[in-house]
Amino acid sequence: MAGLSFDNYQRNQYLTCSTNTKAQATSTGTTIVGVKYDGGVVIAADTRSTQGPIVANKNCAKLHKMAPKIWCAGAGTAADTEEVTKLIGSNLELHSLYTSREPRVVAALQMLKQHLFKYQGHVGAYLIVAGVDPTGAHLFSIHAHGSTDVGYYQSLGSGSLAAMAVLESKWKQGLTREEAIELAADAIEAGIWNDLGSGSNVDVCVMEIGKDAQYLRNYRTPNVREPKQQSYKFARGTTGILSERVLDICQVEEQTVDIELEA
Amino acid sequence: MQAIAERYSNQSALVKELQYDNEEGLSNDFVNGRSQFSHLAPHIALPPISTPQEFLRAHTDDSQNPDCKIKIAHGTTTLAFRFQGGIVVAVDSRATAGSWIASQTVKKVIEINPFLLGTLAGGAADCQYWETWLGAQCRLHELKEKERISVAAASKILSNLTYQYKGAGLSMGTMICGYTKKEGPTIYYVDSDGSRLKGDLFCVGSGQTFAYGVLDSNYRWDLTVEEALYLGKRSILAAAHRDAYSGGSVNLYHVTESGWVFHGNFDVDTLFWEIKAKEGSFNNVVG
Amino acid sequence: MSDPSSINGGVVVAMVGKDCVAIACDLRLGSQSLGVANNFEKIFHYGHVFLGLSGLATDVTTLSEVFRYKTNLYKLKEERHIEPETFTQLVSSTLYEKRFGPYFTGPVVAGINSKTGKPYIAGFDLIGCIDEAKDFVVSGTASDQLFGMCESLYEPGLEPEDLFETISQALLNAVDRDAISGWGAAVYIITKDKVVKRYLKTRQD
Repeated sequence: MAGLSFDNYQRNQYLTCSTNTKAQATSTGTTIVGVKYDGGVVIAADTRSTQGPIVANKNCAKLHKMAPKIWCAGAGTAADTEEVTKLIGSNLELHSLYTSREPRVVAALQMLKQHLFKYQGHVGAYLIVAGVDPTGAHLFSIHAHGSTDVGYYQSLGSGSLAAMAVLESKWKQGLTREEAIELAADAIEAGIWNDLGSGSNVDVCVMEIGKDAQYLRNYRTPNVREPKQQSYKFARGTTGILSERVLDICQVEEQTVDIELEA
Repeated sequence: MQAIAERYSNQSALVKELQYDNEEGLSNDFVNGRSQFSHLAPHIALPPISTPQEFLRAHTDDSQNPDCKIKIAHGTTTLAFRFQGGIVVAVDSRATAGSWIASQTVKKVIEINPFLLGTLAGGAADCQYWETWLGAQCRLHELKEKERISVAAASKILSNLTYQYKGAGLSMGTMICGYTKKEGPTIYYVDSDGSRLKGDLFCVGSGQTFAYGVLDSNYRWDLTVEEALYLGKRSILAAAHRDAYSGGSVNLYHVTESGWVFHGNFDVDTLFWEIKAKEGSFNNVVG
Repeated sequence: MSDPSSINGGVVVAMVGKDCVAIACDLRLGSQSLGVANNFEKIFHYGHVFLGLSGLATDVTTLSEVFRYKTNLYKLKEERHIEPETFTQLVSSTLYEKRFGPYFTGPVVAGINSKTGKPYIAGFDLIGCIDEAKDFVVSGTASDQLFGMCESLYEPGLEPEDLFETISQALLNAVDRDAISGWGAAVYIITKDKVVKRYLKTRQD
């Protein structure tokens, strides 16, 4: 019999109400991790930023400097992670100037969580805070509603499950600096390959006790684009033009002013 | 003997299949659109919900629900008008799904038979499916009656169908244009609400108002064929310009007593600049 | 189509070339399906910095005036024109200020740093997240189409004349697949000591 089939109608209705469509629209995919090792801590992030299904930036920076030796990896709403780390970073510097002490990671943690709690999750920043201060090396994670976690290793973002799988199976007590960097980078790569919201490169920041923080931008680049084999350059004059005008910007007006000198 | 003859007669096979006693009963119901006749219409299952129309709107109409999952191809400008020299039919060729232009080369005129044209506005699938189906019904009529179907009858088959599905969420606005000996050049407007109107001049679709603007101000009964064709083309162009969901190209048809004649496909890009230069019109556009 | 950012329609795109940048926009202003104006420019300049604003027309106009005001104050205080990098930060903080009641625009900044001579482009989301790119940025109702066009047509190191063809073709072919963009286009080719503005011949449907 000709016509339409509604065979899948009830199945599809079941499918559409069982998946949370609202979370799909708002979440911004990312993989970020932090790993502690003997003598320091390392954080890492992927470099993909997305607007819905579109990759907005293929090489963005998700590692934010809050103080010279306190860095923060951000997931969630990109503008929020940027602004909240900038704001708390400024306050942290003022605080350290006022107290004449190096800023502490716990101070950053407290200020961030109080700020985020105040906004009841509407500031959509999911952060991994790490750094070294006079009390040692520290690693924390913060959720948008203001809850915090402490641990030897942390992962956050849409790729956190893939990353955590690596961390859970490979992390051990007494890692060296190099081992920690590799583990963090491996965890991010797990997110890059297995999570669609994450991708491109791996950024790393190492904070070791008694040393300056080391920011390793694009530590791994496993997604280098193959150069185009042919050019799509158009012959000059391809595009039809209605009119053309040379703009006067930065108009420099010179004028000589006679100043009458009076006695 | 009679039985054997019946078995090999085409007409009676149809009569039998539709469980009629004689041929007259069939043709009566055919014209009147009785319920038994619905055997000929493919049966479309309705979704198991109380108001399919509301359901469809909630899931397909992005003016109500911006993140609706199903986007149906919509948006059109079509027109047809009667004049001294027959009928002019003109349509655009754009299909959109939301603001995405799905195609610029859609055929919005369905050539039902050499004397009948159907225009297509609204849900692209609905129109395409049911007007093709209408074509089959018209052919069936021709075989039964040994005579071409009248425009009135053809349009009624479609309007009976749309009325049957009223409230089920069909979306179509169409003009059935044709020429028969007894009717002369005739236009019927049929839509998914079940309306069926006979008239001299119709514009249908999202760009209808723009087309009416040009058409009404330049229309006369005693237009020459050349003038009428140009007016049809010019009206669609006006709509293609102002209406975001109309555009692509213009398809032109002329219906006369010897059937319809296709008068070409005109890309709006070249057509616009050509007419602007010729008429000195569209002065809102810097050329 | 009650989404504020797609009521009026429109697109902006910027690209980097060899010692030059280009920024382009369409000219349509619509009210849903109705085309209202074909001279609605979405690119503004403050000294030698160019700003493209796509999205809700009322916010485009408002923001362009806000930035005129802010850059004028900057000029009075600093006694120099604002640089693209600085202006980018200004746009970001202005937008984030309205985090919970945003302007529905997708700004794009393009310019050449007058000190270093370095070409610079940046894009933003509606709440001010900076997207610094070294190749191209896109925004507006045909941004998906523009991403596709730019990703395939763009190549680094184009001369100004070639960059003009590339950005124009990317824009033209993108808006031809968007019902609510088009109706004319304007392209700016910016080099260190010369800015050329061209209006393109486009489809009018």
